[in-house]
Amino acid sequence: MLKLIGAAIILLSTTLAGLRVAGYFARRPLQIRQLRTALKILETEIVYGATPLYQALEHIANRLHGEVSRLFKTAARLLDNNDELTTYECFRKAIEQTWPHTAMKAPEKEMLLHLGTVLGQSDREDQKKHIELTIINLHSEENQAKENQAKYEKVAKSLGFLGGLLVVILLF
Amino acid sequence: MVIGDVTRVLPDRIRRWVGDFPSDVQNKVEEIRLRINRPVECIVGGRSFFITGEGSLVPSDEQTAAFTREEAVQLMNRLSLHSLYTMEEEMRRGYITISGGHRVGIAGKVVLEGGSVKLIRDITSFNIRIAREQPGVAERVLPLLVNEQVIRSTLIISPPQCGKTTLLRDLARLLSTGTSRLPGRKVSIVDERSEIAGCVGGIPQKNVGPRTDVLDGCPKAEGMMMMIRSMSPDVLITDEIGRAEDGYALEEAIHAGISVITTAHGKDLKDIMRRPTLSRIAQSGVFERYLILGRRPSIGSIQAVYDENFTERRKERMLC
Repeated sequence: MLKLIGAAIILLSTTLAGLRVAGYFARRPLQIRQLRTALKILETEIVYGATPLYQALEHIANRLHGEVSRLFKTAARLLDNNDELTTYECFRKAIEQTWPHTAMKAPEKEMLLHLGTVLGQSDREDQKKHIELTIINLHSEENQAKENQAKYEKVAKSLGFLGGLLVVILLF
Repeated sequence: MVIGDVTRVLPDRIRRWVGDFPSDVQNKVEEIRLRINRPVECIVGGRSFFITGEGSLVPSDEQTAAFTREEAVQLMNRLSLHSLYTMEEEMRRGYITISGGHRVGIAGKVVLEGGSVKLIRDITSFNIRIAREQPGVAERVLPLLVNEQVIRSTLIISPPQCGKTTLLRDLARLLSTGTSRLPGRKVSIVDERSEIAGCVGGIPQKNVGPRTDVLDGCPKAEGMMMMIRSMSPDVLITDEIGRAEDGYALEEAIHAGISVITTAHGKDLKDIMRRPTLSRIAQSGVFERYLILGRRPSIGSIQAVYDENFTERRKERMLC
């Protein structure tokens, strides 16, 4: 009886772990897409609205949801309240704070950080170019993430379950 | 406090220094001039000082602390709220108006497009001019300009930094508010350089009176025509005329029965007559009074008053 319960616990935990990993693979492309939407809004706000950066970021946060929204909300709050930090520092801090809660990885983080170094520091035309470039880069990263999702999401799910099963069989 | 809006944008170190000035010095600070890698200059009561690392004012540039590039970035971030792209127009014109109506002049590397200035970047020099309202300066001038309820069109002439704009602003306030003998008038200000009303987001930061409309950042000639058509002003106020098209707009206004009060750079009436477009405007007889301001005995003192025939009017007789 005790053995059976133990086997069930092992199987359950490995399956859940598998689902979690699969969830990462599924969420990453979605979040990168959200990021792209966010930058698209930012571009409009900057080029056509000439909205101050903290307001633009706030608008973005209101239009999106989840972790990506939180990233922009944090950045907006830092820019508005913290006047000893530079623009880049505010942006970087917001990314560092919220990144661990997202499913996104290093490449898209680098892209955002790079955008942070120029954000708000030049005229509209220049801002537009930088944002557009980042959107294009994010797009290719999104495609890659989608490929990974197709490849590994199911694998991770079954691997979790099957791995658990293997352990259970070996133990018995 | 007047200087509060200015310290808000200053880089930390300079903010601390200026904040620690004794209050009588703070009240006399006219300009804070920042140049990258050079000492911080402060113009206090018409005299130039540098700030030392301890925050005290000294007349020579020994033992002074230099303004750094990082501080320039910080200042720029604070001026633009981290959004330089919202200031393209300001970058082109070379100055930024901040809340409180203070002006920050900038100089650096100019980027051209099609032969005209597109923007200034790599900004290395900042001149923070602290604006102070002098409510009341117009009161002693008013009797010179008003004759039996009629406000005479007037050109105020003075070298820079002699209180032209201050006087102009206070005249706007006074004419708009009205006095016991003179009912308030509709006043329109065309504020090309955001200096008279010091608008931020379209709202005047200076007291320009209750019956005053401001067209902010608009070229003078076009703005004057727009105001005549749209706001039916009694008095039209604008700053520093000098181009040919300003002359046409002035004539248009004056023949529409509007009194125009404006300013020009110059030491005296002769200076004005030497400048071709200005002298043509003056010769056409649109102005009924010329007011010369100077620095003696104090800033903004009236040096002379001329009438439409360029004959000097004795002050005593007019002041009665």
